[in-house]
Amino acid sequence: SERYSFSLTTFSPSGKLVQIEYALQAVASGAPSVGIKAVNGVVLATEKKNKSILFEDHSTYKIEQITKNIGMVYSGMGPDYRLLVRRARKMAQDYYLMYHENIPTGQLVYKVGQVMQEYTQSGGVRPFGVSLLICGWDEPGKPLLFQCDPSGAYFAWKATAMGKNNVNGKTFLEKRYSEDLELEDAVHTAILTLKEGFEGQMTEDNIEIGICNDDGFRRLTPQEVKDYLANI
Amino acid sequence: MECLVGMQCNDFVMVAADMTAARSILVKKSDHKKYLKLSDKLLMAVTGESGDTNQFSEYVAKNIMLYKMRNGYELSPAAAASFTRRNLAGYLRSRTPYHVNLLVAGYDDESGKPELYYMDYLASMAKLPYASHGYGGSFTTSILDRHFRPDMTRAQAYALMIECVKEVQKRLIINLPNFSVTVIDKEGIVDMEPITQAVIANQATA
Repeated sequence: SERYSFSLTTFSPSGKLVQIEYALQAVASGAPSVGIKAVNGVVLATEKKNKSILFEDHSTYKIEQITKNIGMVYSGMGPDYRLLVRRARKMAQDYYLMYHENIPTGQLVYKVGQVMQEYTQSGGVRPFGVSLLICGWDEPGKPLLFQCDPSGAYFAWKATAMGKNNVNGKTFLEKRYSEDLELEDAVHTAILTLKEGFEGQMTEDNIEIGICNDDGFRRLTPQEVKDYLANI
Repeated sequence: MECLVGMQCNDFVMVAADMTAARSILVKKSDHKKYLKLSDKLLMAVTGESGDTNQFSEYVAKNIMLYKMRNGYELSPAAAASFTRRNLAGYLRSRTPYHVNLLVAGYDDESGKPELYYMDYLASMAKLPYASHGYGGSFTTSILDRHFRPDMTRAQAYALMIECVKEVQKRLIINLPNFSVTVIDKEGIVDMEPITQAVIANQATA
Protein backbone atom coordinates (compact mmCIF):
# COMPACT_ATOMS: atom_id res chain seq x y z
CA SER A 1 0.00 0.00 0.00
CA GLU A 2 2.99 2.33 0.02
CA ARG A 3 3.09 2.08 -3.78
CA TYR A 4 -0.26 3.81 -4.11
CA SER A 5 -0.35 7.49 -3.30
CA PHE A 6 -4.01 7.72 -4.26
CA SER A 7 -7.06 6.44 -2.46
CA LEU A 8 -9.08 3.63 -3.99
CA THR A 9 -12.18 4.90 -2.22
CA THR A 10 -13.41 7.79 -4.33
CA PHE A 11 -16.71 9.60 -4.73
CA SER A 12 -19.25 8.64 -7.35
CA PRO A 13 -21.17 11.41 -9.14
CA SER A 14 -24.11 10.86 -6.79
CA GLY A 15 -21.92 11.68 -3.81
CA LYS A 16 -21.58 8.12 -2.52
CA LEU A 17 -18.41 6.28 -1.58
CA VAL A 18 -19.18 3.09 -3.46
CA GLN A 19 -16.45 1.07 -1.76
CA ILE A 20 -18.09 1.72 1.59
CA GLU A 21 -21.49 0.74 0.19
CA TYR A 22 -19.96 -2.53 -0.97
CA ALA A 23 -18.32 -3.04 2.40
CA LEU A 24 -21.72 -2.60 4.05
CA GLN A 25 -23.01 -5.22 1.63
CA ALA A 26 -20.32 -7.59 2.82
CA VAL A 27 -21.50 -6.93 6.37
CA ALA A 28 -25.17 -7.38 5.52
CA SER A 29 -24.52 -10.78 4.00
CA GLY A 30 -22.36 -11.91 6.92
CA ALA A 31 -23.41 -14.08 9.85
CA PRO A 32 -25.98 -12.49 12.19
CA SER A 33 -24.84 -10.84 15.40
CA VAL A 34 -26.87 -9.20 18.16
CA GLY A 35 -26.17 -6.83 21.03
CA ILE A 36 -28.53 -5.85 23.86
CA LYS A 37 -27.94 -3.42 26.70
CA ALA A 38 -29.51 -4.34 30.05
CA VAL A 39 -29.77 -2.45 33.31
CA ASN A 40 -26.94 -4.43 34.85
CA GLY A 41 -24.87 -5.40 31.83
CA VAL A 42 -24.59 -5.94 28.08
CA VAL A 43 -24.90 -9.14 26.03
CA LEU A 44 -23.32 -9.91 22.64
CA ALA A 45 -24.41 -12.94 20.66
CA THR A 46 -23.58 -14.32 17.25
CA GLU A 47 -24.27 -17.26 15.01
CA LYS A 48 -21.20 -19.36 14.38
CA LYS A 49 -22.09 -22.00 11.81
CA ASN A 50 -19.26 -24.17 10.55
CA LYS A 51 -19.74 -25.36 6.99
CA SER A 52 -18.68 -28.93 7.68
CA ILE A 53 -18.82 -31.32 10.60
CA LEU A 54 -15.06 -31.74 10.16
CA PHE A 55 -14.49 -28.22 11.52
CA GLU A 56 -13.07 -28.12 15.02
CA ASP A 57 -15.64 -26.19 17.08
CA HIS A 58 -14.37 -23.87 19.81
CA SER A 59 -10.83 -23.58 18.46
CA THR A 60 -11.41 -20.06 17.18
CA TYR A 61 -13.84 -17.48 18.49
CA LYS A 62 -15.82 -14.60 17.12
CA ILE A 63 -16.58 -12.93 20.42
CA GLU A 64 -13.31 -11.48 21.76
CA GLN A 65 -12.26 -9.63 24.91
CA ILE A 66 -10.42 -6.37 24.32
CA THR A 67 -9.82 -5.33 27.93
CA LYS A 68 -11.07 -6.62 31.23
CA ASN A 69 -14.35 -4.80 30.73
CA ILE A 70 -14.70 -4.36 26.97
CA GLY A 71 -15.76 -7.03 24.48
CA MET A 72 -16.36 -7.16 20.75
CA VAL A 73 -18.18 -9.15 18.05
CA TYR A 74 -18.68 -8.61 14.32
CA SER A 75 -20.64 -9.34 11.20
CA GLY A 76 -18.73 -9.60 7.93
CA MET A 77 -15.22 -10.75 7.07
CA GLY A 78 -13.41 -12.64 9.82
CA PRO A 79 -9.82 -11.78 8.85
CA ASP A 80 -10.59 -8.04 8.75
CA TYR A 81 -12.14 -8.41 12.21
CA ARG A 82 -9.08 -10.08 13.67
CA LEU A 83 -6.88 -7.17 12.61
CA LEU A 84 -9.22 -4.72 14.33
CA VAL A 85 -9.24 -6.83 17.50
CA ARG A 86 -5.43 -6.65 17.57
CA ARG A 87 -5.46 -2.90 16.98
CA ALA A 88 -8.13 -2.32 19.62
CA ARG A 89 -6.23 -4.35 22.21
CA LYS A 90 -3.04 -2.42 21.53
CA MET A 91 -4.81 0.93 21.68
CA ALA A 92 -6.32 -0.03 25.03
CA GLN A 93 -2.91 -0.96 26.42
CA ASP A 94 -1.27 2.18 25.03
CA TYR A 95 -3.91 4.16 26.89
CA TYR A 96 -3.19 2.26 30.09
CA LEU A 97 0.53 2.84 29.66
CA MET A 98 -0.03 6.55 29.34
CA TYR A 99 -2.70 7.17 31.98
CA HIS A 100 -2.51 4.13 34.26
CA GLU A 101 -6.28 3.85 33.92
CA ASN A 102 -8.53 1.58 31.84
CA ILE A 103 -9.63 3.15 28.59
CA PRO A 104 -13.22 4.38 28.71
CA THR A 105 -15.34 2.36 26.25
CA GLY A 106 -16.41 5.45 24.31
CA GLN A 107 -12.80 6.46 23.74
CA LEU A 108 -11.88 3.01 22.45
CA VAL A 109 -14.85 3.08 20.08
CA TYR A 110 -13.73 6.51 18.87
CA LYS A 111 -10.20 5.26 18.20
CA VAL A 112 -11.37 2.11 16.42
CA GLY A 113 -13.74 4.23 14.32
CA GLN A 114 -10.81 6.46 13.48
CA VAL A 115 -8.79 3.47 12.24
CA MET A 116 -11.67 2.30 10.09
CA GLN A 117 -12.07 5.78 8.61
CA GLU A 118 -8.37 5.96 7.75
CA TYR A 119 -8.79 2.93 5.51
CA THR A 120 -11.37 4.86 3.49
CA GLN A 121 -9.03 7.76 2.83
CA SER A 122 -5.56 6.24 2.47
CA GLY A 123 -3.54 5.14 -0.53
CA GLY A 124 -3.85 1.64 -1.84
CA VAL A 125 -6.14 0.14 0.82
CA ARG A 126 -9.77 -0.93 0.93
CA PRO A 127 -12.27 -0.39 3.73
CA PHE A 128 -12.77 -3.09 6.38
CA GLY A 129 -15.51 -5.56 5.46
CA VAL A 130 -16.91 -5.68 9.01
CA SER A 131 -19.25 -3.87 11.31
CA LEU A 132 -18.33 -4.23 14.97
CA LEU A 133 -20.44 -4.40 18.10
CA ILE A 134 -18.42 -3.14 21.05
CA CYS A 135 -19.77 -3.49 24.57
CA GLY A 136 -18.26 -2.13 27.75
CA TRP A 137 -18.78 -1.51 31.41
CA ASP A 138 -17.25 1.80 32.58
CA GLU A 139 -17.42 2.36 36.28
CA PRO A 140 -19.65 3.14 38.04
CA GLY A 141 -22.46 1.00 36.78
CA LYS A 142 -22.64 2.20 33.18
CA PRO A 143 -23.30 -0.45 30.51
CA LEU A 144 -22.54 0.65 26.95
CA LEU A 145 -23.13 -0.79 23.48
CA PHE A 146 -21.67 0.70 20.29
CA GLN A 147 -21.61 -0.23 16.62
CA CYS A 148 -18.66 0.67 14.35
CA ASP A 149 -19.21 0.67 10.59
CA PRO A 150 -16.74 0.31 7.67
CA SER A 151 -17.09 4.04 7.03
CA GLY A 152 -15.75 4.77 10.50
CA ALA A 153 -19.11 5.99 11.76
CA TYR A 154 -20.12 4.77 15.18
CA PHE A 155 -23.44 4.66 16.98
CA ALA A 156 -24.56 3.95 20.51
CA TRP A 157 -27.38 1.42 20.76
CA LYS A 158 -29.77 0.10 23.35
CA ALA A 159 -30.16 -3.04 21.26
CA THR A 160 -29.33 -3.90 17.68
CA ALA A 161 -28.80 -6.65 15.13
CA MET A 162 -26.29 -6.84 12.28
CA GLY A 163 -25.58 -9.14 9.37
CA LYS A 164 -28.09 -11.34 7.59
CA ASN A 165 -31.66 -10.75 8.66
CA ASN A 166 -30.73 -7.62 10.59
CA VAL A 167 -33.89 -5.77 9.53
CA ASN A 168 -36.13 -8.48 11.03
CA GLY A 169 -33.79 -8.69 13.99
CA LYS A 170 -34.12 -4.99 14.77
CA THR A 171 -37.91 -5.14 14.36
CA PHE A 172 -37.99 -8.08 16.77
CA LEU A 173 -35.85 -6.14 19.25
CA GLU A 174 -38.00 -3.02 18.96
CA LYS A 175 -40.91 -5.08 20.23
CA ARG A 176 -39.02 -7.05 22.83
CA TYR A 177 -36.69 -4.41 24.29
CA SER A 178 -37.50 -2.60 27.53
CA GLU A 179 -35.48 -0.12 29.56
CA ASP A 180 -35.55 -2.28 32.69
CA LEU A 181 -34.32 -5.50 31.11
CA GLU A 182 -32.01 -7.50 33.37
CA LEU A 183 -28.92 -9.21 31.95
CA GLU A 184 -30.44 -12.70 32.26
CA ASP A 185 -33.49 -11.62 30.27
CA ALA A 186 -31.29 -9.81 27.77
CA VAL A 187 -29.35 -13.02 27.07
CA HIS A 188 -32.67 -14.82 26.60
CA THR A 189 -33.89 -12.13 24.21
CA ALA A 190 -30.60 -12.17 22.29
CA ILE A 191 -30.91 -15.91 21.74
CA LEU A 192 -34.49 -15.52 20.55
CA THR A 193 -33.41 -12.76 18.15
CA LEU A 194 -30.78 -15.05 16.65
CA LYS A 195 -33.30 -17.84 16.48
CA GLU A 196 -35.57 -15.77 14.21
CA GLY A 197 -33.33 -16.25 11.21
CA PHE A 198 -31.59 -19.45 12.28
CA GLU A 199 -31.67 -22.36 9.87
CA GLY A 200 -31.62 -25.70 11.64
CA GLN A 201 -31.17 -26.59 15.28
CA MET A 202 -29.47 -24.05 17.59
CA THR A 203 -26.90 -25.66 19.88
CA GLU A 204 -24.12 -24.46 22.20
CA ASP A 205 -21.65 -25.30 19.41
CA ASN A 206 -23.07 -23.05 16.73
CA ILE A 207 -23.70 -19.84 18.63
CA GLU A 208 -21.43 -17.72 20.80
CA ILE A 209 -22.54 -15.48 23.67
CA GLY A 210 -20.57 -12.88 25.62
CA ILE A 211 -21.68 -10.85 28.62
CA CYS A 212 -20.35 -7.67 30.19
CA ASN A 213 -21.22 -6.72 33.76
CA ASP A 214 -19.52 -5.36 36.86
CA ASP A 215 -17.20 -8.37 36.89
CA GLY A 216 -16.00 -7.39 33.44
CA PHE A 217 -16.44 -8.98 30.03
CA ARG A 218 -16.35 -12.72 29.34
CA ARG A 219 -17.47 -15.27 26.79
CA LEU A 220 -19.95 -17.84 28.11
CA THR A 221 -18.78 -21.44 28.22
CA PRO A 222 -20.60 -23.95 25.97
CA GLN A 223 -22.21 -25.42 29.10
CA GLU A 224 -23.59 -22.03 30.14
CA VAL A 225 -24.92 -21.47 26.62
CA LYS A 226 -26.53 -24.90 26.74
CA ASP A 227 -28.29 -23.97 30.01
CA TYR A 228 -29.70 -20.79 28.45
CA LEU A 229 -30.85 -22.71 25.37
CA ALA A 230 -32.63 -25.22 27.57
CA ASN A 231 -34.74 -22.37 28.99
CA ILE A 232 -36.07 -20.89 25.76
CA MET B 1 18.75 26.28 45.08
CA GLU B 2 15.02 26.16 44.40
CA CYS B 3 12.54 24.79 46.89
CA LEU B 4 9.10 23.23 46.56
CA VAL B 5 6.93 22.01 49.44
CA GLY B 6 3.56 20.29 49.29
CA MET B 7 1.15 18.85 51.84
CA GLN B 8 -2.08 16.95 51.31
CA CYS B 9 -4.69 17.23 54.05
CA ASN B 10 -8.17 15.73 54.25
CA ASP B 11 -9.97 18.41 52.21
CA PHE B 12 -7.22 20.28 50.38
CA VAL B 13 -3.66 20.23 49.04
CA MET B 14 -1.31 23.10 49.74
CA VAL B 15 1.77 23.76 47.63
CA ALA B 16 4.47 26.34 48.33
CA ALA B 17 7.24 27.32 45.94
CA ASP B 18 10.05 29.78 46.41
CA MET B 19 9.81 32.91 44.26
CA THR B 20 13.47 33.54 43.53
CA ALA B 21 14.55 33.44 39.88
CA ALA B 22 18.36 33.64 39.82
CA ARG B 23 21.16 33.15 37.31
CA SER B 24 24.66 32.70 38.67
CA ILE B 25 25.17 35.49 41.24
CA LEU B 26 22.27 37.61 40.02
CA VAL B 27 18.75 37.49 41.41
CA LYS B 28 16.64 38.29 38.37
CA LYS B 29 13.30 38.31 40.15
CA SER B 30 11.99 37.64 43.62
CA ASP B 31 8.31 37.38 42.73
CA HIS B 32 8.55 34.59 40.18
CA LYS B 33 5.71 32.05 40.06
CA LYS B 34 7.03 28.52 39.74
CA TYR B 35 3.72 26.81 39.25
CA LEU B 36 1.24 26.38 36.42
CA LYS B 37 -2.47 25.61 36.51
CA LEU B 38 -3.02 22.47 34.41
CA SER B 39 -6.80 22.64 34.75
CA ASP B 40 -9.45 23.89 37.16
CA LYS B 41 -8.37 21.53 39.90
CA LEU B 42 -4.85 20.53 38.88
CA LEU B 43 -1.62 22.34 39.59
CA MET B 44 2.01 21.62 38.75
CA ALA B 45 4.89 23.26 40.63
CA VAL B 46 8.17 22.96 38.71
CA THR B 47 11.86 23.53 39.40
CA GLY B 48 14.93 22.61 37.39
CA GLU B 49 16.64 23.56 34.16
CA SER B 50 15.56 26.99 33.01
CA GLY B 51 13.43 26.68 29.88
CA ASP B 52 12.73 22.99 30.39
CA THR B 53 10.50 24.07 33.27
CA ASN B 54 8.27 26.23 31.07
CA GLN B 55 8.39 23.97 28.04
CA PHE B 56 7.51 20.80 29.86
CA SER B 57 4.82 22.24 32.12
CA GLU B 58 3.12 24.04 29.21
CA TYR B 59 3.29 20.87 27.09
CA VAL B 60 1.56 18.88 29.81
CA ALA B 61 -1.00 21.62 30.44
CA LYS B 62 -1.94 21.83 26.75
CA ASN B 63 -2.25 18.06 26.40
CA ILE B 64 -4.53 17.94 29.41
CA MET B 65 -6.67 20.61 27.77
CA LEU B 66 -6.65 18.63 24.52
CA TYR B 67 -7.92 15.53 26.30
CA LYS B 68 -10.76 17.61 27.73
CA MET B 69 -11.60 19.01 24.28
CA ARG B 70 -11.55 15.60 22.63
CA ASN B 71 -13.49 13.66 25.22
CA GLY B 72 -15.70 16.18 26.99
CA TYR B 73 -14.34 15.36 30.43
CA GLU B 74 -11.11 15.96 32.31
CA LEU B 75 -8.34 13.60 33.27
CA SER B 76 -8.29 12.62 36.92
CA PRO B 77 -5.27 13.85 38.91
CA ALA B 78 -3.92 10.28 38.99
CA ALA B 79 -4.21 9.91 35.22
CA ALA B 80 -2.71 13.36 34.62
CA ALA B 81 0.22 12.49 36.91
CA SER B 82 0.67 9.20 35.07
CA PHE B 83 0.64 11.04 31.74
CA THR B 84 3.22 13.53 33.02
CA ARG B 85 5.47 10.79 34.32
CA ARG B 86 5.16 8.79 31.10
CA ASN B 87 6.32 11.77 29.07
CA LEU B 88 9.23 12.45 31.42
CA ALA B 89 10.24 8.79 31.23
CA GLY B 90 9.99 8.78 27.44
CA TYR B 91 12.28 11.77 27.06
CA LEU B 92 14.69 10.54 29.71
CA ARG B 93 16.55 8.16 27.42
CA SER B 94 16.53 10.44 24.41
CA ARG B 95 18.96 13.08 23.29
CA THR B 96 16.74 15.76 24.85
CA PRO B 97 15.68 14.79 28.37
CA TYR B 98 13.78 17.30 30.51
CA HIS B 99 15.61 18.21 33.68
CA VAL B 100 12.61 19.14 35.84
CA ASN B 101 11.43 18.28 39.34
CA LEU B 102 7.70 18.46 39.94
CA LEU B 103 4.96 18.43 42.48
CA VAL B 104 1.58 17.68 40.91
CA ALA B 105 -1.35 18.59 43.13
CA GLY B 106 -5.02 18.11 42.37
CA TYR B 107 -8.52 17.47 43.60
CA ASP B 108 -10.31 14.37 42.29
CA ASP B 109 -14.04 15.15 42.04
CA GLU B 110 -14.94 11.49 41.60
CA SER B 111 -13.27 10.23 44.76
CA GLY B 112 -13.75 13.53 46.61
CA LYS B 113 -10.12 13.52 47.72
CA PRO B 114 -7.15 15.83 47.22
CA GLU B 115 -3.96 14.24 45.88
CA LEU B 116 -0.27 15.12 45.83
CA TYR B 117 2.30 13.51 43.53
CA TYR B 118 6.07 13.88 43.78
CA MET B 119 8.00 13.45 40.54
CA ASP B 120 11.66 13.99 39.79
CA TYR B 121 13.75 14.40 36.64
CA LEU B 122 14.40 10.65 36.50
CA ALA B 123 10.66 10.12 36.10
CA SER B 124 10.16 8.47 39.46
CA MET B 125 6.78 9.19 40.97
CA ALA B 126 5.23 8.77 44.41
CA LYS B 127 1.83 9.69 45.77
CA LEU B 128 2.56 11.26 49.14
CA PRO B 129 0.90 13.04 52.06
CA TYR B 130 3.71 15.61 52.00
CA ALA B 131 6.72 16.11 49.75
CA SER B 132 9.44 18.55 48.81
CA HIS B 133 12.14 19.30 46.24
CA GLY B 134 15.50 20.99 46.48
CA TYR B 135 18.11 21.43 49.22
CA GLY B 136 15.49 23.29 51.23
CA GLY B 137 13.37 20.18 50.98
CA SER B 138 15.68 18.31 53.31
CA PHE B 139 14.87 20.76 56.10
CA THR B 140 11.13 20.90 55.42
CA THR B 141 10.83 17.12 55.39
CA SER B 142 12.10 17.04 58.97
CA ILE B 143 9.61 19.70 60.04
CA LEU B 144 6.72 17.93 58.31
CA ASP B 145 7.70 14.52 59.70
CA ARG B 146 7.38 16.05 63.15
CA HIS B 147 4.32 18.31 62.78
CA PHE B 148 2.21 17.24 59.78
CA ARG B 149 -1.30 15.98 60.48
CA PRO B 150 -3.85 15.15 57.74
CA ASP B 151 -6.75 16.77 59.63
CA MET B 152 -5.29 20.29 59.69
CA THR B 153 -7.33 23.32 58.68
CA ARG B 154 -6.09 25.68 55.97
CA ALA B 155 -4.93 28.15 58.63
CA GLN B 156 -3.01 25.45 60.49
CA ALA B 157 -1.46 24.17 57.27
CA TYR B 158 -0.44 27.71 56.31
CA ALA B 159 1.11 28.17 59.76
CA LEU B 160 3.02 24.90 59.32
CA MET B 161 4.14 26.08 55.90
CA ILE B 162 5.50 29.24 57.54
CA GLU B 163 7.45 27.03 59.98
CA CYS B 164 8.90 25.15 57.00
CA VAL B 165 9.89 28.39 55.28
CA LYS B 166 11.45 29.75 58.48
CA GLU B 167 13.57 26.64 58.81
CA VAL B 168 14.74 26.88 55.20
CA GLN B 169 15.58 30.54 55.65
CA LYS B 170 17.47 29.81 58.86
CA ARG B 171 19.53 26.84 57.63
CA LEU B 172 19.92 27.08 53.84
CA ILE B 173 22.89 29.17 52.75
CA ILE B 174 20.96 30.46 49.73
CA ASN B 175 18.61 33.31 50.57
CA LEU B 176 14.97 32.51 49.61
CA PRO B 177 12.97 35.43 50.99
CA ASN B 178 9.59 34.77 49.37
CA PHE B 179 7.40 31.69 48.91
CA SER B 180 4.13 31.52 46.95
CA VAL B 181 1.38 29.41 48.51
CA THR B 182 -1.48 27.84 46.57
CA VAL B 183 -4.37 25.68 47.78
CA ILE B 184 -6.52 23.26 45.77
CA ASP B 185 -9.82 21.98 47.12
CA LYS B 186 -13.21 21.03 45.82
CA GLU B 187 -13.89 24.63 44.82
CA GLY B 188 -10.76 24.91 42.71
CA ILE B 189 -7.39 26.62 42.91
CA VAL B 190 -6.87 29.57 45.27
CA ASP B 191 -3.69 31.59 45.70
CA MET B 192 -2.98 32.34 49.33
CA GLU B 193 -0.88 35.23 50.57
CA PRO B 194 2.79 34.65 49.67
CA ILE B 195 5.02 34.02 52.66
CA THR B 196 7.28 37.09 52.75
CA GLN B 197 9.46 38.69 55.43
CA ALA B 198 6.49 40.86 56.44
CA VAL B 199 4.22 37.85 56.84
CA ILE B 200 6.78 36.04 58.98
CA ALA B 201 7.32 39.13 61.12
CA ASN B 202 3.54 39.50 61.62
CA GLN B 203 3.17 35.88 62.57
CA ALA B 204 5.91 36.29 65.17
CA THR B 205 4.10 39.21 66.81
CA ALA B 206 0.59 37.68 66.48
